[in-house]
Amino acid sequence: MSSPFLLRLTRFFVLSFLQVIVFNHIHLFGYVTPLVIGYMVVCIHRETSRTSMLLWGFFTGLVFDLFCNTAGMASASCTLAAMIQPKLLNMFRPHDAAENFTPSITTLGLGRYTLYAFMLLLILHAAFYLLDACTLADWYLTLLAMGSGAALSTIITIGMELLVRTNNKKELHP
Amino acid sequence: MRALIDIIVKNKHWFLFLLLEVISLIFLFSHNGYQKNVYFTTANGVVGSTYDVISSITAYLHLREENAALERKNEQLRRELYELKQAQELERLESTKHMYALARKYDVVHAQVVNMTLHKANNLITINKGEADGIRPEMGVICSRGVVGIVYMTSRHYSIVIPLLNVNSKISCRLRHSEYFGSLIWKRGYADIAYVTSIPRHAPVKKKDIVETNGFSDIFPPGLPIGSIQGIGDSADGMSYQLKVKLFANFATLREVSVITNYTAQERRQLEHQALNPAAQDSIPSKKQIKTETTR
Repeated sequence: MSSPFLLRLTRFFVLSFLQVIVFNHIHLFGYVTPLVIGYMVVCIHRETSRTSMLLWGFFTGLVFDLFCNTAGMASASCTLAAMIQPKLLNMFRPHDAAENFTPSITTLGLGRYTLYAFMLLLILHAAFYLLDACTLADWYLTLLAMGSGAALSTIITIGMELLVRTNNKKELHP
Repeated sequence: MRALIDIIVKNKHWFLFLLLEVISLIFLFSHNGYQKNVYFTTANGVVGSTYDVISSITAYLHLREENAALERKNEQLRRELYELKQAQELERLESTKHMYALARKYDVVHAQVVNMTLHKANNLITINKGEADGIRPEMGVICSRGVVGIVYMTSRHYSIVIPLLNVNSKISCRLRHSEYFGSLIWKRGYADIAYVTSIPRHAPVKKKDIVETNGFSDIFPPGLPIGSIQGIGDSADGMSYQLKVKLFANFATLREVSVITNYTAQERRQLEHQALNPAAQDSIPSKKQIKTETTR
């Protein structure tokens, strides 16, 4: 077992736990729930194989579906986000980025990271709420859910990213 | 094959992506009531539209069979129509069946009218059959509707017929229902009107009665229709009726005629000839003199 895998597995459990215990109880505008599990996909580093990314995304979403009774919605959305993530990351990463480049506020900067995270989470939320609605009859509500959910998730993601960075700094400079 | 495997290996993440998405969608549509309903509703709509398109296409493709079936039906209907027309024609001919039946007892030669006059006092008809076809003078000529006239002269391939529309024509005839007989003559004028003379005044005569041949002559067999009574008048001497007869034969459109070739009995003709010759009186059996009516 490699260290990155354990780190990712830990992140997976923590995020799933937080999503189920905390964030599933947030209902913006009455029904918009932030999909914080998207952070799993956001922080996948560059050298990760596409197959591995897809499987991580799928199982992350599957766990969410199991606990939230949304069979298939989150797994399909997270798999889609994992498929798009490398392309999106290539748009925001520096040209001279290393092979093991990891998207974070430290490596991308707050602005680029925010935009990158928002776009990826927007794709995730768009897929999720479109599958949830299964129709465009109430398209404005669906759009609201996509935008607000992605925005809220982005804020939470940045918060978590800042928290992780602070912890890392403390570990490096106790 | 290797190239195919290379393509699959190179794009394996795409196949994995599709597989995971399909699994997710199966979960979605099999475990969520709302999505399942939406799926089935949409699927039913799509399937219905697809079947509609397929139905339109197959209906077009089946047009060939439909056309063949319609053609068969048309053929059957045409055959039925033809049979019905034949039956109708037979029924129509039933009214003249009597004449046909009589005519068929004798040999006839069919001929076409090649020349004819109607406006003269002595009208004549030329037909395209002559001695080569067995036609001789004093043979009867009929058409499908009735009596036409009598052969007057013959050549090798043509014959001249004296029609009823000739002032010299005189045909022995009778009334069908009363069997009183007289002579049919023609007066100049109408091409479809003739007159029957010598009908006794006590004879029951009524309009529409049929005038037909009486068989007294050796030219026409009895029963051939000539015309129907249109008017009843008196003769010049007032001793008998003179009946105005509407002729059945339409001379204006006459094209096809038939000549009765074998009715004239040679034995009868010879007998009558001998009866008129006193030197041969002894050799003639005692029989009633037969009155013949001939035409000129």
